[in-house]
Amino acid sequence: MSELPAGAIYDRGYRHYDGPREGRSRRITAILVAGVRRALGLKRNWKTKVVPFGLIVAAFGPVLAFIGIRLLVGDAAGEFLGYADYFSIVAVVLLLFAATAAPELLCPDRRQHVLALVFTRPVTRPDYLAAKLGALLLLMGLVALLPLVILYLGNALTAPSAATYLREHLGDLGRILFAGTVLTIFYAAVSLAVASLAERRSLATAGLIGSFVASSALANILFFTAPPTLPLRRWLTFVSLQGLAGRFVEWVFGEPFDDGSLAQQAGFSGSAYLAALVVLTVAAMGLLAWRIARLQP
Amino acid sequence: MPVAEARSLSKRYGSVLALRGVDVAVQSGCTGLVGSNGAGKSTLIKLLLGLLRPDEGSASVLGHDVAADPLAVRQAVGYLPEGPCLPGDVTAADFVAFMAQLGGLPPRQARERASEICYQVGLEEERYRAVGGFSTGMQQRVKLAAALVHDPSMLLLDEPTDGMDPQGREDMLELIKRIRAELSVDVLVSTHLLGDVERVCDHVIMVHAGQVLLQGSIVEAAGTASPGFGVQLGDNGHAVRDALAGAGLEVRQAGDELHVQGRDDAADLIRDLAAGKGWPLRRLVPKAPSLEETFLRLQATAAAEQPPPAPAPTPAGRAS
Repeated sequence: MSELPAGAIYDRGYRHYDGPREGRSRRITAILVAGVRRALGLKRNWKTKVVPFGLIVAAFGPVLAFIGIRLLVGDAAGEFLGYADYFSIVAVVLLLFAATAAPELLCPDRRQHVLALVFTRPVTRPDYLAAKLGALLLLMGLVALLPLVILYLGNALTAPSAATYLREHLGDLGRILFAGTVLTIFYAAVSLAVASLAERRSLATAGLIGSFVASSALANILFFTAPPTLPLRRWLTFVSLQGLAGRFVEWVFGEPFDDGSLAQQAGFSGSAYLAALVVLTVAAMGLLAWRIARLQP
Repeated sequence: MPVAEARSLSKRYGSVLALRGVDVAVQSGCTGLVGSNGAGKSTLIKLLLGLLRPDEGSASVLGHDVAADPLAVRQAVGYLPEGPCLPGDVTAADFVAFMAQLGGLPPRQARERASEICYQVGLEEERYRAVGGFSTGMQQRVKLAAALVHDPSMLLLDEPTDGMDPQGREDMLELIKRIRAELSVDVLVSTHLLGDVERVCDHVIMVHAGQVLLQGSIVEAAGTASPGFGVQLGDNGHAVRDALAGAGLEVRQAGDELHVQGRDDAADLIRDLAAGKGWPLRRLVPKAPSLEETFLRLQATAAAEQPPPAPAPTPAGRAS
């Protein structure tokens, strides 16, 4: 009986690629997807997943737990936090998420000189910027918007009449989307701008968290220790970066500023805080674009 | 017809003139770009890729004007940069697939092509390991795979054997030869190792202190140095070297012997000198013309004509 070969091995050698080719959108998408994976620690060791997924759990967990309990025990579960209150929790998660994800998106490319390869493909600086910004907006949007939307839907589903709740609280959904979108863009732009200034992730993270915490402390200390007659004293309220986000959300949801707080004493309307957020976002985008344009492979 | 051309190309970093009005024509095939560290090789490659803007002059690659259409150049060219440039915590397969997508390949085709190219450059099961754990040789293979994966028409390889052990260097040179032979991709290899150029290239461009010393085929370049001799005459000391130079010969110390060339009757002159001075002639062996001889001679001539400027820095400029 003759033995038949089980298989054959072919050395096909190098071959040209004659398949489909896509354009600029593919290149941007590739960088965006790689950025999302990197920021979430996907396809990397488990330690890199702890912080991003921990923060996602922190944003979604309370909402999902409340809805679950409400579905099980009904109104006995009592009232959950209002949308504005929950946004104040989300804002902290957003800051921490931005402070870890933005450096992850920008710093390793420079520190490991990966740009020497990326920019030798037909990738422009605006493509690179758009992809990195898109990746962070996607992730931050997930944290800023989705928990609140789920809370809104959960409230509707557990209300005596879902249709009535949706009809009567349609404005809340609009406010959630508006506030979430503004905060997402603000935190993404500022965190990427800060990350573009440092090659080390740890420095960028510390710099961002530090600037938010320190600015709030500074604003309050200066305001409450300065003599009331000091010119421009009330403008110190705009020094507090985290305070800007909080006051904006309170204004969007029609909540009054806390009695005796810096914002209440400063006397600016909520729209002033929105304007400040817009100015800061535009400035951060300008800085980011300038830094990206200066990147050398 | 040249596949890449530079016309009166100049580039300055601050006070250092890295390239001075360079005219280069890279012919189809494999071309070696040789020169000492700081000669301007990497600067020339980056100018050809459109990564740097020249202060003067122009360049074209594969028919594309670099200044007018740099993206078309980068689509058609694969580049292997000098030095580390790989993300440490990504697998080779993932990174090469990412680079394929930057070259326009859809995700599925990018993964398949990355896998194929990794295999071809000798990354088999290792391609599923994080690049950070790779040896220098393996990292060079990943860089080569990344340069090849989008199927470029031309490869620009900047010091591809840099930091590799002898076996790794041998493997890389074989890979370059295979790529040239099987894909007919035009290759420009920048290196300071003339032996590498002699091994794999058809043409050579020699640069020194931002100027082109010579460009042409390897055979022509090696032939520009007249045949010479390896000599051990007396103590090979100053008196011997002065006497040889006085007889109209070019003399260069190479290890424990002198390399002597410059006249067709050099052997007779050396013999007569030994007899006349009473110096023992221990060694007189003919040496075939080589690129190294040519390069060293041209470099010495250029250095004598003009003191070399300070070495050109790597264009750092990284935003930090």
